[in-house]
Amino acid sequence: MDIEQRVKKIVAKQLKVNENDIKQESEFVRDLGADSIQSIELIALFEEEFDIEIDEQAALSAKTIGSAIAFIKKVIEDSGGKTR
Amino acid sequence: MSKQNSYKNLTQEQIKILQSQGCWAQDWSLVKVADGFEPERVRNVQFLGRIYIGRFTGNIKLAGGLEKPSGIYNATVANCTIGDDVRISNIGVHIANYDIGSKACIENVGTMATNPGASFGNGVRVAVLNEAGGREVVLFDELSAQFAYMMSMHRYRPNLTTKLFEVAQKEAEKVRCDRGRVGPAAQILSTVEIIDVNIGAQALIEAASSLVNGTILSSAEAPAVIGSNVSAEDFIIAENASVSGAAHLKKVYISQGCRIGKQFSAENSLFFSNCEAFNGEACSIFAGPYTVTHHKSTLLIACLFSFYNAGSGTNQSNHMYKLGPVHEGKLERGTKAGSFSYMMWPCRVGAFSIILGKHTRIFDTSDFPFSHLEAGPDGRCLMIPGLYLATAGILRDGAKWPSRDRRKGCKKSDIISFDIFSPYTVGKMIKGCSILKELQDNTERSVEEVSVNGAQIKRVLMRTSQKFYRTGIEMYLLENVLARAEKALDEGIKKINESFATDEGAVYSPDWVDIGGQLMPKERLLDLTTAIENGKVADAEAFSIEIQKIHRSLEKDEWLWVKNTYKEYFGRDLEKLTKDELGCAAESYQRFRTKFLKQVLADAEKDFDKNSRTGFGQDGSAEDLDEDFRQVRGEYDANRFVKEIRDNIEAVEHRVSKFREKISTIF
Repeated sequence: MDIEQRVKKIVAKQLKVNENDIKQESEFVRDLGADSIQSIELIALFEEEFDIEIDEQAALSAKTIGSAIAFIKKVIEDSGGKTR
Repeated sequence: MSKQNSYKNLTQEQIKILQSQGCWAQDWSLVKVADGFEPERVRNVQFLGRIYIGRFTGNIKLAGGLEKPSGIYNATVANCTIGDDVRISNIGVHIANYDIGSKACIENVGTMATNPGASFGNGVRVAVLNEAGGREVVLFDELSAQFAYMMSMHRYRPNLTTKLFEVAQKEAEKVRCDRGRVGPAAQILSTVEIIDVNIGAQALIEAASSLVNGTILSSAEAPAVIGSNVSAEDFIIAENASVSGAAHLKKVYISQGCRIGKQFSAENSLFFSNCEAFNGEACSIFAGPYTVTHHKSTLLIACLFSFYNAGSGTNQSNHMYKLGPVHEGKLERGTKAGSFSYMMWPCRVGAFSIILGKHTRIFDTSDFPFSHLEAGPDGRCLMIPGLYLATAGILRDGAKWPSRDRRKGCKKSDIISFDIFSPYTVGKMIKGCSILKELQDNTERSVEEVSVNGAQIKRVLMRTSQKFYRTGIEMYLLENVLARAEKALDEGIKKINESFATDEGAVYSPDWVDIGGQLMPKERLLDLTTAIENGKVADAEAFSIEIQKIHRSLEKDEWLWVKNTYKEYFGRDLEKLTKDELGCAAESYQRFRTKFLKQVLADAEKDFDKNSRTGFGQDGSAEDLDEDFRQVRGEYDANRFVKEIRDNIEAVEHRVSKFREKISTIF
């Protein structure tokens, strides 16, 4: 599974939405209904999934699925490009 | 007030004048007057027993600038001493057994009397925390939060409890008297009943309903105010306190700077410095400094609080229908309860946490300060440790409390440690971090939640919570090191290292305690306890001196804790740090402090986001929404708090830059 698929799978499970309804431009709060606690949990799940360390405050500025994916890719790249 | 031996008998002429003005005495020979007494300002008065009257030459100033002549008018006075320029007027039943200070005003009062052996609220036992008894605190005038805390909370040291009871009883006995006191310039107006109440100088009692067995501590510099329809029994109300609005109190201590009103009712409760209680109810609570409850339908029961805020409809239960109302709660400093939150005791909540929802399970989160505690659908506590560490609310609270200290013009009875980040909270964060690390290492990935002392933590958030705590821990330690180093920066690395030395007389404990709002190393508490148990601290004054000494040592004790903790946490001895290491420490400080402040800014920004604008622009268009919001709430960038934080970030950068520049040049 590529990064995008893995992100969408986690988001679907965490926010209890249909994976097919998650688009690149979907906003976590407005479209997918994430509250602030769920946002923190999503970051933690992404950290665990990709074995990376994410700065919560920087991550919370990624408002859409697409920007979150880009953010995660950048973190992976900065940490040596390795992921599970 | 003139001394009693300077009074003299009335002349026959004076008695005739008094009689012609409607006055009567049980025995005129027992009515003595001061030199210069003129009888013209004594009309329609019945004198019973021994009476001493001062001179009446001036006026009493009342609210609104109204001035009335001093004197005694339309009253029955029994066994009283009445000071110079007192005004007593329109007393319904009588004033009996009172010494009334000069310029006091007692007007339109029903009954005011002291019974033989009155103790004026001193000696009353207040059943805090356990409504059925077991943690009683004995009231006395100079009761402090620290004294009360040790008396109620440390029952596992029966010898200490016995000694503290002895001290309290001794203090209470000092006050016992057959006569009550009204201090100079006190004003007691339109009040139905005052029985066995000592009233301090310049106190204002207006339109109260009933005051029985109490003391109102008050002075010219720190007056106390009792307002309309207040009913209080078995009480002590301290300087700068205000009780009004039909508040109903029984067995309470209201300490300096408190505000009680709007029909608030309290029983068996202690309210220490600067508490505010309106509209709701309290029973068997120990309200440490800055405990605040403002809303109707809020009950605070059987709990220890401090720096607390109760949301509307907050509620707790201490009665499980078994052996009575015996359960207790402990909310450590800074905790807040969301609207309609409920807790079933017994529970203990860590410092600066937020309680949401209806908790019907027992838990103890004292190792996890700054936590989010939300009740799940089944009443279990779901905890996110450290979530509220870097929030706008925390910083605002830290600034708010010291600026709202209403204790002016009086000796402060309670010691208050205001710091949000201290060895107390940071020590707990270190412990919390360690627990979380161990849990994280020992919990299988398949496990979703883990229970820690009754609270559930999601496995996936354990690492996140550790990050939250690490920010706070490192920011605190590095800030203290930087501040210390800056003082010796011009004197070379050797002097800087020397400046990290332990201050003389400092005491170290890994654990710090919060004693009724005062923070201290546990060792100092143990020393104080021992001193009380062996009789070295044997009265209230000696206790006060000791806790003041401990407070004066706070800075050096804190530094010793920082120094030792720095060594444990970073593995380096501060006294051996090199220039480069100090430079790196400063850089790390900037990183953590800036990260913390930016998280606070992000938190503040939520109050300006799309969700927060819901409902704005009523009856208008989409464009009107933002304008409506801007007009009502302002703009994020112009917000004073936001600007302060941004200035703070700049100041940190500047400070560290200056430090690093200097340290690179020193020898």
